[in-house]
Amino acid sequence: MSNADNTPLADGERDDPMIAGEWALGVLEGEELLNARAKAANDPSFAALKQWWDARLAPLTDEVAGMEPSADLWPRIKAEVESLANGSGAQVIDLQSRLRRWQWTAGITSVAAAVLATLMVLGPGTEPGALPSPTQTPQLAAADPLVAQVPIGDTGLRLDVTYVPETEQLLVGAIGLTADGVHDHELWLVRPDGEGVQSLGVIVPGEVRAVDLGDDVIGNMGDGVQVLLSREPLGGKPEGVDPGPIVAEGVLSEV
Amino acid sequence: MTNSSTQAADVARERLRDAMVRLAAGDSNALEEIYNATHVKLFGICFRILGDRKEAEDALQDVYVNLWQRADRYDPTRASPISWLATFARNRAVDRLRTGKVRGGAVPVEEANPLPDQAPLADAMLVDAEKSAQVHTCLSTLDDSVREHIRGAFFDGFTYAQMAEAADVPLGTMKSWIRRGLQKLRACLEAGEAA
Repeated sequence: MSNADNTPLADGERDDPMIAGEWALGVLEGEELLNARAKAANDPSFAALKQWWDARLAPLTDEVAGMEPSADLWPRIKAEVESLANGSGAQVIDLQSRLRRWQWTAGITSVAAAVLATLMVLGPGTEPGALPSPTQTPQLAAADPLVAQVPIGDTGLRLDVTYVPETEQLLVGAIGLTADGVHDHELWLVRPDGEGVQSLGVIVPGEVRAVDLGDDVIGNMGDGVQVLLSREPLGGKPEGVDPGPIVAEGVLSEV
Repeated sequence: MTNSSTQAADVARERLRDAMVRLAAGDSNALEEIYNATHVKLFGICFRILGDRKEAEDALQDVYVNLWQRADRYDPTRASPISWLATFARNRAVDRLRTGKVRGGAVPVEEANPLPDQAPLADAMLVDAEKSAQVHTCLSTLDDSVREHIRGAFFDGFTYAQMAEAADVPLGTMKSWIRRGLQKLRACLEAGEAA
């Protein structure tokens, strides 16, 4: 081994190409990973460094022996794609039964369930005319509601995050949380393509808030998508700086 | 590679690139074409990282559904389609590993590495042979143990902490090894491209 390999290389000594390399290799975690994603979203030259590494490491996957998945995998994918493409038409019918099911899942507060019940009655998805046409461009919203619990440290408190595809709204329940008067907390969606994070808004302690989401965010909503909570100055992350420290995280999953 | 197989590879790559572009334009039928051409390779990658058939199938389903939802993310002028898809599948599988849904590390460290280098594979013809040769050449210039750790991170989704524990060295040492390794790898890859 050469001496150079043993020379310590501390976190602060890394240049951007090296951080991008660590990211591409998959060894960045937690706050560092979030920072890298946020940076790539705001800095095309950093995003290009990640792509540089990705393109060069990708040929290594040739060493992995190919494998045939179950024969029913393609039908499953096809069915999921079709159900997403056909929108929420068939879903509205069984909303009532699913609502009962959601109320049993721990990921949803009774307040959020009540809001959902209201949405179910009043939501545009219940009107046949409002259903999306099957021929429209890929529908980005997931078909089922997604929930995530975001436990706040060891406080026993948590955020309840529920995404309702029918209304393209995010319900964020921060019941029991109180403001410290110095910080705000901002919720982030980690883009599944690894291309950065998207803000889901600043948390309002003690309330359940419905947040309207933009198409760019809705397109990234899905089962298994990670959400992160960062500590920020009052008002949320200032323009042009990286997000603050990550204080909590959760994963959206279908109920 | 002979001229005719080079041509066949070019044709296969172009066909895949074309299907990706059609998918981005809203042609859902293109997804089946892409699936047929790539699922053996991508399932292999997901299984290698997750070590569990069911998890790997769920990950793969997620990959193709996500691809269908956001095919416009693929830029045909920038990346080879199979490299891009392989990276995408690997990232999704590693994310899945990290979210704690999967037990993870299903393939023990000792068993993780001894795959034959450059084994000939059916889907391999989709890959850019030149780039492939280069990363292998450059990896071979690294110290053995550093190379194996870099491979472990890449193929098995190991974290710094897992690798440090397996190698019985402090976390900072493992980080320095990998970072120095990446530094050398980058210099070698850049030199290869400049030549």
